[in-house]
Amino acid sequence: MLFLSRRAGFSRCIVTCGSDGDVRIWEDLDDDDPKSINVGEKAYSCALKNGKLVTAVSNNTIQVHTFPEGVPDGILTRFTTNANHVVFNGDGAKIAAGSSDFLVKVVDVMDCSQQKTFRGHEAPILSLSFDPKDIFLASASCDGSVKVWQISDQTCAISLPLLQKCNDVINAKSICRLAWQPKGGKLLAVPVEKSVKLYRRETWNNQFDLSDNFISQALNIVTWSPCGQYLAAGSINGLIIVWNVETKGCMERVKHEKGYAICGLAWHPTCGRIAYTDAEGNLGLLENVCEPSGKSSSSKVSSRVEKDYSDLFDGDDTNNAGDFLSDNAVETPFSKRIINDDEEDDDLMLASGCPRQRSHILEDDENSVDVTMLKTGSNLLKEEEEDDQADNIHNLPLVTSQRPFYDGPMPTPRQKPFQSGSTPVHLTHRFMVWNSVGIIRCYNDEQDNAIDVEFHDTSIHHATHLSNTLNYTVADLSHEAILLACESTDELASKLHCLHFSSWDSSKEWIVDMPQNEDIEAICLGLGWAAAATSALLLRLFTIGGVQKEVFSLPGPVVSMAGYGEQLFIVYHRGTGFDGDQCLGVQLLELGKKKKQILHGDPLPLTRKSYLVWVGFSAEGTPCYVDSEGIVRMLNRGLGNTWTPVCNTREHCKGKSDHYWVVGIHENPQQLRCIPCKGSRFPPTLPRPAIAILSFKLPYCQTATEKGQMEEQYWRSVIFHSHLDYLAKNGYEYEEGTKNQAIKEQQELLMKMLALSCKLEREFRCVELADLMTQNAVNLAIKYASRSRRLILAQRLSELAVEKAAELAATRVEEEEEDDFRKELNAGYSNTATEWSQPTLRNKDEEDEEDTGEADDKEEKPEIHKHEQNPFFKNANSSDVAAIKSGAVISSSQGRVNPFKVSANSKEPAISVNSARSSNILDNMNKSSKKSALSRATNNENSPVIKPLVPKPKSKQASAASYFQKRISQADKNEDANEENPKNSSSETPVLCPQNTESQRPKTGFQMWLEENRSNILSDNPDFSDEADIIKEGMIRFRGLSPEERKAWTTKAKGGTTSDGAEAKKRKRVVDESHETENQKEKAKENLNLPKKQKPLDLSTNQKLSAFAFKQE
Amino acid sequence: MDAAEVEFLAEKELVTIIPNFSLDKIYLIGGDLGPFTPGLPVDVPLWLAINLKQRQKCRLTPPEWMDVEKLEKIRDHERKEETFTPMPSPCYMELTKLLLNHASDNIPKADEIRTLIKDVWDTRIAKLRVSADSFVRQQEAHAQLDNLTLMEINTSGAFLTQALNQMYKLRTNLQPPESAPSQDF
Repeated sequence: MLFLSRRAGFSRCIVTCGSDGDVRIWEDLDDDDPKSINVGEKAYSCALKNGKLVTAVSNNTIQVHTFPEGVPDGILTRFTTNANHVVFNGDGAKIAAGSSDFLVKVVDVMDCSQQKTFRGHEAPILSLSFDPKDIFLASASCDGSVKVWQISDQTCAISLPLLQKCNDVINAKSICRLAWQPKGGKLLAVPVEKSVKLYRRETWNNQFDLSDNFISQALNIVTWSPCGQYLAAGSINGLIIVWNVETKGCMERVKHEKGYAICGLAWHPTCGRIAYTDAEGNLGLLENVCEPSGKSSSSKVSSRVEKDYSDLFDGDDTNNAGDFLSDNAVETPFSKRIINDDEEDDDLMLASGCPRQRSHILEDDENSVDVTMLKTGSNLLKEEEEDDQADNIHNLPLVTSQRPFYDGPMPTPRQKPFQSGSTPVHLTHRFMVWNSVGIIRCYNDEQDNAIDVEFHDTSIHHATHLSNTLNYTVADLSHEAILLACESTDELASKLHCLHFSSWDSSKEWIVDMPQNEDIEAICLGLGWAAAATSALLLRLFTIGGVQKEVFSLPGPVVSMAGYGEQLFIVYHRGTGFDGDQCLGVQLLELGKKKKQILHGDPLPLTRKSYLVWVGFSAEGTPCYVDSEGIVRMLNRGLGNTWTPVCNTREHCKGKSDHYWVVGIHENPQQLRCIPCKGSRFPPTLPRPAIAILSFKLPYCQTATEKGQMEEQYWRSVIFHSHLDYLAKNGYEYEEGTKNQAIKEQQELLMKMLALSCKLEREFRCVELADLMTQNAVNLAIKYASRSRRLILAQRLSELAVEKAAELAATRVEEEEEDDFRKELNAGYSNTATEWSQPTLRNKDEEDEEDTGEADDKEEKPEIHKHEQNPFFKNANSSDVAAIKSGAVISSSQGRVNPFKVSANSKEPAISVNSARSSNILDNMNKSSKKSALSRATNNENSPVIKPLVPKPKSKQASAASYFQKRISQADKNEDANEENPKNSSSETPVLCPQNTESQRPKTGFQMWLEENRSNILSDNPDFSDEADIIKEGMIRFRGLSPEERKAWTTKAKGGTTSDGAEAKKRKRVVDESHETENQKEKAKENLNLPKKQKPLDLSTNQKLSAFAFKQE
Repeated sequence: MDAAEVEFLAEKELVTIIPNFSLDKIYLIGGDLGPFTPGLPVDVPLWLAINLKQRQKCRLTPPEWMDVEKLEKIRDHERKEETFTPMPSPCYMELTKLLLNHASDNIPKADEIRTLIKDVWDTRIAKLRVSADSFVRQQEAHAQLDNLTLMEINTSGAFLTQALNQMYKLRTNLQPPESAPSQDF
């Protein structure tokens, strides 16, 4: 690529040439518009002295141009192939050029007829060096020799076989840029392998070697300082070392950050700076090399880290415009310093003029310069250089260290804080936020500095335009407010600005100033609160109205934050990562009534060598994040708060440089909302990007097979519905329907897998699968197994079923003892699940018999999978639904649970089974679930997706009661029966296994009555085939009884249950009261007042009430 | 059929909008639409898109082909070919017209697109005229024209068939009785 020389006194510039055939003249390192002279197709080497620019170019000539004008000034000489190196002698009168045709020529610059040719090398010439006294010329060649020639008679003074042989410059390990000591040329320095050999003039014996332990690869180049005291060498792995030749001590070691080969080195003529070039076309400067004060390194390292950091995280996008120098080095590994193996195929030749007067510049082929320099003490150089400060040089690929050089794992620069859904700050038009609520754009160009806020849903708020005088850089947006923050400036403190548009008073804004020296780095909004993380490692909480709340310390510098409802999700640096990895920690807090920390600074798993690009919550409130490799991870609350990768967005990308910019995650329906970005990591503001939807896919093995697919689907379904459990646990409302659907879906998948395993004769696996199933599904599995004549399997499964039942019973007992409001929500579930146990077995047998009978005809060809599946699927549905079914049946018949039980237990099992399986039940289910949803909606003032339930802990029974009282009195005007609905359904819909529930429940008076009177009813209405009809009729009759009679029945029923434990007794009083009223309406109300604990007593009243409710209809 | 009817038919075409309101699925005779989620693209028939746009309830995303570069290619191709080239949409003209009239603010470079579509249209209509002309001149019994859109057929179809009828009438009437020379001769 390039290289050049600088003359102090003359132009103070740096000239470089490169394989693009241009010679560029740099005023200074930060000159971003260098003057460029095109000298040919490719320039291999150039040298500058006395206003003449000599270049070796690809048409095999050595040309002269005037400098700095760049006017062609003739051709000095020609070779049969290209010259590899050209140098001036000390006074600039002659040049020496070495070519790939094995020749070295010395030509008089003024009179090109005066040529001397040196023959003797047997391979292409690598490099040349003029003796400062003009007596000798040293050359190195691919034939492995270094020769010193007598210029006057072109004889070889000495030939030293020092180098490795090779056949071409491209293949040479080192370009072996040798150099004479300035001022007298007493020593000739030759880089050989990992050391520099110094040869004494005239005697040509090896005076001494300079080497260092840290040189791990061959040295490419040596250069003397102008004073002759120091020697600098560059290696092919990017190490630059400076020795003091007299003391032979190592003065400085500097490692090129990217480890590119150093292919050019030049000392500044008068001060301690070294310009260097690498084989990737970058130019750099080392400053204060060997300055007496030795301040060379101190501040370098720190500045490096920071600078480099910005490079890492802002500069890696190709559409970064602006002042950003991106590091566009192609990371092709290359080992040769001279030639790149990429298409550009650059030859780099370093042609140095006289060592006293040169320095080097490297430039990149694309003219985007990645200039690097170490900036300490650059003031010292001011007189010399026009501007040494190089303020806008952004990265420093060199690491310097004075002392032993460390070559192990390198710490990764920490990633900067960012806001999710924002594009880089340096852009003039950027997104400050894109989330599920809306978009905040920031325009920062000459005419305008403004912020545009736009809401996806215009009903939240209208679009707003704000002027950005304070230069806000971070923002967040929620349904309630817009939050903005800016960094501090010299005069102004860092500010947090909140536009609380949903406020009902007239002042909708507040601003808070941070204390001095504290900058806001990340902000987020939750429901009713705002949070700001500052550079002082503090997290400050505010209410949405501007009241300061808690302040706490963060364990490390914040990376990003997200808020949702009451949850606050903080990601911070736990430490320093190495080798490209980030070391992040995560905290998850709940800021609700019960404040608690869910994740206590756990490590945040990231893909290797990636960094975080997005953090946030799914629309359902599960924390998620995305790393730069496009992996989306979601918190799996069901597995001890671990993180599960749920999507790899890169799999969806067409091109290698395409990315998806995530803007939102939805669990139900499963949607990953993101913006496809062609060739970049983030979208431009214009044209307005469109959202695409990706599906999730867990990284399961063998998803090409049916088994893998179903496993993936099953676990995905589990993970994406775990938020329901979380919501339930935390007392939020959620759709029962979704949950039931999820369970149904999962059970269906399990059944399919079971069928598949059965087909594959994997019975053990079947049992494992059955272990994941609910009771109902296990029953079906047993049926399926026995029908497909796998008796051992059926046996095992039934054992499993018993076990399960026992477990459930145990947990139920435990839960019964517990008495909190969580339980209230789940009560229905646990109750029924338990009670299901015994009947299960009994029913199972019955069903088995029956089913086999039924199925016998169908089962002629059980081997055919499809056929097999059909009956089975039907069953699967009905059984999966069974859970629901129970709830459904109950609620649709207004809690008429028991009638089924009665029949099931007594004489007519067939009926119950049939009715359970009838399609009506499905209908019922739908109806009931809808109904319950509806009624719930009416029960609540408003029903957003997620809404905290009014907690009804026991202790607050009174208040709860009053609450309900109010509602009931309202509702009185409507039908009481309707009021009943939500109650029953909410407590009982989640019930999983209804049929069996009843067996353990105490019978109600009505039930007992019905049992006794069933035969009467049947005889009166012989056409009643449906149990429901019987019950209906029964109810009508029961109501016809006198209150006394009814009461008698009730007490009779109660008689069996009063022993049900202290709890029940305690409550009994209340219940009794209710009974005394004799008025069932009253009872209904009373019942409502009771906590929803499913105590036997309540139940019986409940059922009675349901009966009543039914009547009302 | 007149142009308005053709346009009416074209209004069934699906276009993508980004609604700024939220609404559950709506169930219509023609099929279910939605659900509408603010900020999320959804496909709706053109008539609904325009209606929503007029009420400022959505932003329109132009169809993929409604892009200056693509249309330039189509235009050049259309000009080069003797025959009709396939159009990106069977009702490109109607779509362009309606979208540009009602949602030009959501379509980048709307004016250029208008011009390009007009160019394509003109080229195609010119071709249609030429082929009709040669059809009539050569007194062919039938001709096949591929890739015509409904709107294009409609522009010349009615007139052409009537004209052919007329000509046929004239021709049959003109068959002079052998004896009586026409007035011209």
